[in-house]
This record gives sequence, C-alpha cells and structure tokens, in this order.
Amino acid sequence: MSSNKDIFSPELIKDKGSIHPINHMKDTIMGLLVTFGFEIIDGPEIETEEFNFDMLNIKKTHPARQMHDTFYVGGKSNLLRTHTSPVQIRGMLEKKPPLAFISGGKVYRKDDDATHLPMFHQIEGILVDKNISFAHLKDLIYKIVHSLFGKDIELRFRPSYFPFTEPSAEVDILSSEGKWLEILGCGLVNPKVLENCNIDSNSYSGLAFGLGIERIAMLKHGVKDIREFYKSNLDFLCQFK
Amino acid sequence: MKIAYKHLVKNIIANPSIDEISDRLFQLGHEHEIENDIFNMEFTPNRGDCLSLNGLLRDLSVFYDVNASQEIYNEKLNILDIDFENFSQDTCPQISFLKLEIESIPDKYKDYLNDYFIDLNLNKNNFFTDISNYISYENGQPTHCYDADKINGKLVFQELDIDQEFETLLGKKINLTNKNPVFLLKDKVINLAGVIGGIETSCSSDTKIALVECAFFKPEAIIGKSVKYDIQSEASYKFERFVDPECQDRTIRRFIKIVDEHTNIKDMSVISYKFKQNKVSKIPIKTNEINQIIGINISQESYLNYLSKLGFIINDEHIEAPSYRSDIETQNDLAEEIARVIGYDNITRNEITIPKGKKSNIRDLENNLRFFLLDEGFYEIINSPFVGSDSSNSISVDNPLDSNKKYLRSNLTESLLENLLYNERRQKDSIKLFEISDIYTVKNNKINVTRKLGIIASGRAGHNYKDFSKKISKKYLTSVFKETLPNENFEFKVINRELLNTKVTNEIICCEVDIANFSSDVLSYKKISKPPENFIEYSPISDLPCSIRDLSFSIKDFTELDKFVEYILEFKHKLLKEIYIFDYFNNEKNSEIKIGFRFIFQSSDSTITESQVNDIISVIIKHTEEIDGITIPGLT
Repeated sequence: MSSNKDIFSPELIKDKGSIHPINHMKDTIMGLLVTFGFEIIDGPEIETEEFNFDMLNIKKTHPARQMHDTFYVGGKSNLLRTHTSPVQIRGMLEKKPPLAFISGGKVYRKDDDATHLPMFHQIEGILVDKNISFAHLKDLIYKIVHSLFGKDIELRFRPSYFPFTEPSAEVDILSSEGKWLEILGCGLVNPKVLENCNIDSNSYSGLAFGLGIERIAMLKHGVKDIREFYKSNLDFLCQFK
Repeated sequence: MKIAYKHLVKNIIANPSIDEISDRLFQLGHEHEIENDIFNMEFTPNRGDCLSLNGLLRDLSVFYDVNASQEIYNEKLNILDIDFENFSQDTCPQISFLKLEIESIPDKYKDYLNDYFIDLNLNKNNFFTDISNYISYENGQPTHCYDADKINGKLVFQELDIDQEFETLLGKKINLTNKNPVFLLKDKVINLAGVIGGIETSCSSDTKIALVECAFFKPEAIIGKSVKYDIQSEASYKFERFVDPECQDRTIRRFIKIVDEHTNIKDMSVISYKFKQNKVSKIPIKTNEINQIIGINISQESYLNYLSKLGFIINDEHIEAPSYRSDIETQNDLAEEIARVIGYDNITRNEITIPKGKKSNIRDLENNLRFFLLDEGFYEIINSPFVGSDSSNSISVDNPLDSNKKYLRSNLTESLLENLLYNERRQKDSIKLFEISDIYTVKNNKINVTRKLGIIASGRAGHNYKDFSKKISKKYLTSVFKETLPNENFEFKVINRELLNTKVTNEIICCEVDIANFSSDVLSYKKISKPPENFIEYSPISDLPCSIRDLSFSIKDFTELDKFVEYILEFKHKLLKEIYIFDYFNNEKNSEIKIGFRFIFQSSDSTITESQVNDIISVIIKHTEEIDGITIPGLT
C-alpha cells in the first residue's frame, strides 16, 4: 500500500456527506434573516388547540380545525402543529415589544400528493414595534425575496386571507417560463392576536411572514416532486454536496 | 367556482376585456384560472359573499359601473300556511318558505337561463331545481325545492344527534351519525340541511307544486359535513363560508319572477321566519388609522368613496358593513379593503428598521455535530414521524392519514434502518446516514420531548483506495468518532440482520444519543466541509439497476501518471454515474504502480446493457493503450 513517502499516490478523496437540502435551505433563509436582526426561537411540534388556533384568531369554524385537516393526538387534547405560528405566540407572551423573532421547523397537515406532504417545513417571522405598516412589510419582503432569488426577480403582492394577519397577502415571483409562482404568505399581525398576547394594539403593530421551505427548495433546485426529499435516496442526497 | 366572463361582462357597462377583468380580480385577491372564457375562481374562505355572479360584480363595482340587480317579483304575496317548527333557532336563525303551483312545465327556457347551463356546461334536472341552481349562481343563496305533494305532515328543523340512513336526491345512501342539522318529516330525515336534500321529497320533471326553502344556516353547523359524508355540494360550500342572511326576501321574489317568466303561476304563498337578528358591524371612521396601517396618505373623501362603492354604508361617525360582509369587524379589515382597491403592488415600500434581537446559539452544538458527520461521509436524512409499530410510551394519532401508520415514532433508529435497507436495495455498498429530530413519548399522561441524534452505517468504510476494503464495524466507527470527539459517548450497537429481509451480510451499526448528553467540546469542532454556496440544479435520479466495471492498470513509466489518472477521473458519459480509485499499490521493488478504477453505469430510461458498458469502456481502454508504460494486465 502507499506510504507517506509515496510521491506518486493519487489524491486521497475522502467521501463527504451532505446536509439535507431542506435543512440547508432552512439554514440559508434563517441565516439571512438573522443578518436582518431577527432572533431565532423554538417551540414544540405537539401543540395545544389554544396556541395553534385560538390565540391566532383561528375560529372553531375554520376548516383547518377539522379532523380532515389537522392531526390530533391524545384524544383531541393536543395536535401536531399545523404551522410554526404558535412559536410566535409563545415568543410574544415571553417578551415585550419591540421584538423580532423567526422560527423554523416541521409542521403537519393531512395532505399527501406530489406537491403536499403530511409533514413539511416552514419558517415564520414576526416583528412587533411602534407604527409598523403594510409599506414596511413590503420593504422587508422585497429584501428577503431579492436576497433569495436575486435583485432582478419580479414579484407581486396579492390580497389573501389568514386569520392571524389583516391585511394579508400572498407573494408570487415570476418564473423564467413567465409563470407566477406563490412563494410566501404575509400580513400585518391582526390586533386581536397582539391583544391575545397582552400587547397593546393601540401602541404597537406588527408584521408577520411565513415561507414553505419545500416550495422554495423545489424552485431553487428544480425538484418537481416534493416526495423526492424524503425518500432518503443517496443518489438524490449526494447531489446537494 | 366557475363564473362565465360572458355573464360578468353583460352586467358591466364599460365592457372590459377578459384580461382586464382577470387583472382586476387578482388585484382584489380573487385567484382564478381561465379556460374557454370561464373564470375558475378560488376565493379565500372569508369571502363567501363572492361565491356568485352578483357577489363578484359587487366587488368589481369599485372599478366599474355594474348592474347587479336583476328583476324581481314586486307584488304583494299571500302568507303561506305551513306546519313547521324550528327546534334549533341558533343554527337556523332565518328561514323562508315559498309554495308555488304552476299551470304547466315549460318546454324551453329563456335565453339567460338556458345560457347558464350551456355556458357552464351543466346538466339540467327539473324546472324548479334548475331555477334553484341558477339563483344560487346568480346571487349566492342556495335554496332547496321539495315536491310539495310529498310534504305530508309537520316539517321540523333541528340540529341533533342522530343515527339514521339517509338517501340523497342523487341516490347516494349515507349513514348520518353524531350531530347534524336536518329537516325531519314524521321523524325521518328528508334533508341534510345546507348540504343536500333527500330523494323521497325531491322534485321531479313532473313536479308542478314546489315548496322552496330559503334559509340561513350558521357556518359552524354545516362545516365538515360534505367531507364527512363524501358529498360534493355547492350549497354546503357556500353555507360554510357564510351566505348573506338578509337576502331571503329578494331570493324568493327573484325565484317567483323567473318562474313567472316561464309559465303561468296558479297559486303562490310565502312565509318568512326571523328568529334572531343579524349582527351588524359598525366601525368608527378613522382615516388616519387606515393610513397608518397601510402606510399611505389617502384623503377621507377617497377612503369613504371606495367603501361606499363596495356597499358599505357611511354614517356621520361610523361605517356599517353590508350584511353579506361578515368578515369585516375592525379598522384593519377596512384597511385591507382600501389596500385591495389601491392595489397591493401600488403601495410604496417604506424602509424598515428591525430591532436587533440577541444572537441565538440554540443550534450551534447540533450544527457542529452535523458538520462532523458530514466530514466523516454521513448523509443527513429527514424522516416522517408516523410509524406503524408502537412501544409502551408511543403517542397515537387520533386521525391518522394511513391507519398502518398511526403512531408517532419513539426512536430514530427504526426509520434510519428503513432508510439503510432502501439504499441497500439500490445497490449502495457504503451507507452512512444520520438524523437529528425531536422524539415525542408519553408517560403518566405527560408528553415528553427529547431531541436526539441517530446514526446508522453499513458496508464499505468509503469509496477511496484506503477505505474501500475496510468494512464499517462497531470497532471502526468507535475509533473514528473517538479520534475526533474523544469525550462523547456514542455507544454504537450492532443490529441483528437475521430478522431483516435482506441478502446483504455487512454489519449494521447504529447509535442514538440525546443531544442534551453531548458536551460543550463539540462546539470547538473545526468543520472541514462547507455547505454549497450556490443552489444546485437537481438531476432526476434513476431507479434502474446499475452496472459496475473495475479496471486495473499497471504503470511502469510514471511520467504520464498524473495525466492518466486525471483522464480517467474526468471521463464523462451520460451513462457513467461515478468513477473512483478503489485500489492503489506502489511496488517500489519492481518500479510498478497498480491502480484500480471502479466505473458505475446507470441509465435513466432503460436497463443498461453489457454492450453499452463495453462501448464506453473500450473508449477508455483505447485511450490508455496509446500511453507508453501503461497496460491493463490480463487484457489480450
């Protein structure tokens, strides 16, 4: 075998592994948001209806609360969080404004097809301060999208509906094929949510945004079927070194 | 919901093009696709008021002069004598009944009614049901038509716990269970309220006397019923999203008008019940607050003018939301109305200042562990938490998507073992995987969360000439990990292959460690690998089998050695997936170097053939044969 003195031996190429592309995307986006000033906070994946729905102004009649949309555990006393928003609630209950949090992780919904999975990943951010307006939200979203997709990317804001934000918006980017692709949801924090977290909505307002990490990863890497991320196929994973 | 461009534009005086209306709808937040001049609308769940032609016209009236007021029957109506009782007035606070007897069933419909079916490619049913469906399309209020001759007793509405079979008017038999809002006739369900009527009392093509029911049901009573009973119901879709509680009189009169335009009405009478008053939202006029929320500077006059066009009633101090806008309660709701009308894209950005949060290091230790594992050739995996097997401390999912996976996993190793076997079946001979995840378990009714690192590995130590012949073993992994992280306790274990359905015999080594048990030494690990700086365009992977070829070369003239190695390792072919040096031996005594290369072939569209592999290999051989001092032993 070769020795240390062997000047002819070819370069010893040691196998390197890879970070999962979803975690890599999550780290990239969260790293970006940290540079903007956001603080990372964490929360549990098993949540209560109170934190996952009630505190976020999601009424009992909302379709998301039905058994066909949400996984309940332990006799409906708990559930698998359907979004990372309850972490923001926990953050707002813990700290006083001004505050700027982000949280990322797994969330669960009862879906299973080429573009939806029962488990997927989200990153959410919230900023609460005095006089935050929709115009500020737009500025932040432009900065995030330009950092992720480049300064030349065209984006549009569409009115949407989330019970925890008002006004609410969805943001699309224009693909190279000329198609608008939805990439995130955002809005001004509904004053009812601020009040639920003991924040005076007459003095403070807030903005919030949320991104589906798989959606962004599919766009950035050109993956067509979301299920590819979770097959644990080494031929797939080794492409993301 | 489908709405024809033709029907919309007929009621808009400016006659805008389909593209212009499409742009306006997007601006207002109404997503849609267009196919054959039909808007396939996807409204947000708070905008039940838009689920009709008139509803959409109302929203568009902020941009255009529209006519969303069709002719109605304006004469005085007789009072209907009906034996009806409402035992759930909170669920159904308002309801009207219209009894109509017609002289004859019309042979053909007026153009507007006929066009509705043709333009939207819908099937006709019977005269009364067809009008009911048309009115639901036109003004958003679902109605239900009974054959009045079949209502031969006291009609009761009640939301109650029930266990009864019910046959829908489409002939589908369903078993009603638990709480349902229903109409009963002699204790038998004849209508699953707000969802679908029953076959026993439905109208037919011969029906000349109809009892039309027009009600407002609370969304919470209807929601989830169509999914539960697997019924496609436009009525329930609308009731779930809130219909206008104040539109019953107009709907009934519009129904009569349409019938009257088609045939002679012999007799008709109406009764309306209002058990509860509809709540009206009154919001103070605060233009400054609206400007602050959006970040604009709109005048009060323009602000109120926009709201007025959207149907809001402006008083001296208050803005009153129209009865069909149950979603409007606060200044933020009004701000969204104004922002939609202005256009979100027309709102100028305002530079944001973000209060600096403290730097979090909650994931630093985990990240260092991940990079240590990357440097040792491990791939990160993310697994679903849903598993089929339980342990004494597993948490069960009340409503699993798959009944074979109804537990949350209580360890990482089982999922990682599945991942390993999956890759072994795909001819992988060196598999090193890890996962970091929370694990949820229950003890004494208390849910516990533990964050864990799981590791699994099997096969060759690596794909290079030093590691190729080494097999991953407990001893091997322990020594590799101890060398870099001497103070951490990985406790590797061997998994018994006997119970696994596999012919591979390599040892499987695993470990599972609580993240909390790692020491701060991990934080000082100096990572070698770097995550990719640019995003990689993924190449679709093939599930077809690979073909492997090894070539060993003897080199006696070392002057061309580097060039030769570079040529082989850089050789490209679309069927050639991987090349690496698996053997190297420098026989200094004989002045001979032996290098073994492994070539792995795979096709994306068909199983690769011997001949395809031979063709590629022969190109490599031919090139190397031309280099002095390099031979392939045994090749003739």
